[in-house]
Amino acid sequence: MDSLHAIGFYVSAALSVAGGLSLAFLESRRRRGAALAVVGLGAAGTYASLSAGLAGAMALLCYAVIALLVARRDYRAIALPVDDRWRQVAGVGAALLLAVLAYSAYRGSFAHATFYGGPIGTAAIGRLLFSHDALATEAITALVLAALVGAAVGWRRERSRDERQREQPERRK
Amino acid sequence: MTVSFVSVLFVASALIAVGAFVAAWRRELTSALAGVPVMLAGAGTAFAGISRFASTEDAQLIGQEMAVLLAIVALAAVALGIGIAGREAPR
Repeated sequence: MDSLHAIGFYVSAALSVAGGLSLAFLESRRRRGAALAVVGLGAAGTYASLSAGLAGAMALLCYAVIALLVARRDYRAIALPVDDRWRQVAGVGAALLLAVLAYSAYRGSFAHATFYGGPIGTAAIGRLLFSHDALATEAITALVLAALVGAAVGWRRERSRDERQREQPERRK
Repeated sequence: MTVSFVSVLFVASALIAVGAFVAAWRRELTSALAGVPVMLAGAGTAFAGISRFASTEDAQLIGQEMAVLLAIVALAAVALGIGIAGREAPR
């Protein structure tokens, strides 16, 4: 890997980690959406510098849509009944998770192979998706379909009785 | 300057831990849900790194394929969460 790709990798990684961290502290929805877009940009840059350009393009697209969804103003805010003490325990747990993962990445004896650099393109990934990993693709499409149906059903808001009663006299007029 | 497999795994670990932190730290459901795509970006980075540094010739695309699938799963998870949260009443 040449220096340019290495610089791109580290800059993208820093972008995605910084965007992810800022998600924990930003209050406005629009800013959280922007932070998620930064995470997506960083992830796409990381994938691209690892010779996974198509995955980078898909990640960029998906995270842009996620950012738009999160930045919307009109979804309900649901507060979770979480104690401050448990949040702090969760923060320490995340730090421990980082330590364990980083230690296992450093100490693990992973298999290394040289990069072949063969043809990587949409057709090759499509062949893999529909032949080698057909089951995984089916599972993901079923999940996406269930998510879309759930989102559509959940998005329809049932009007309260008060609202319905308020509308009735207006219609009679 | 170069990138090694271990540095890719470090970045992936950092993203997964940051996503877990966001999911645990935020009080509001949809804000906590925003940590899930960050965790999945970390997993996707690990897969892309494996496909770049530690896979055989035949299996190089599988890591990239998994990264694509994880991005789609992240989108589905956020769409479902926001859909379940529902729309706010008009004022």
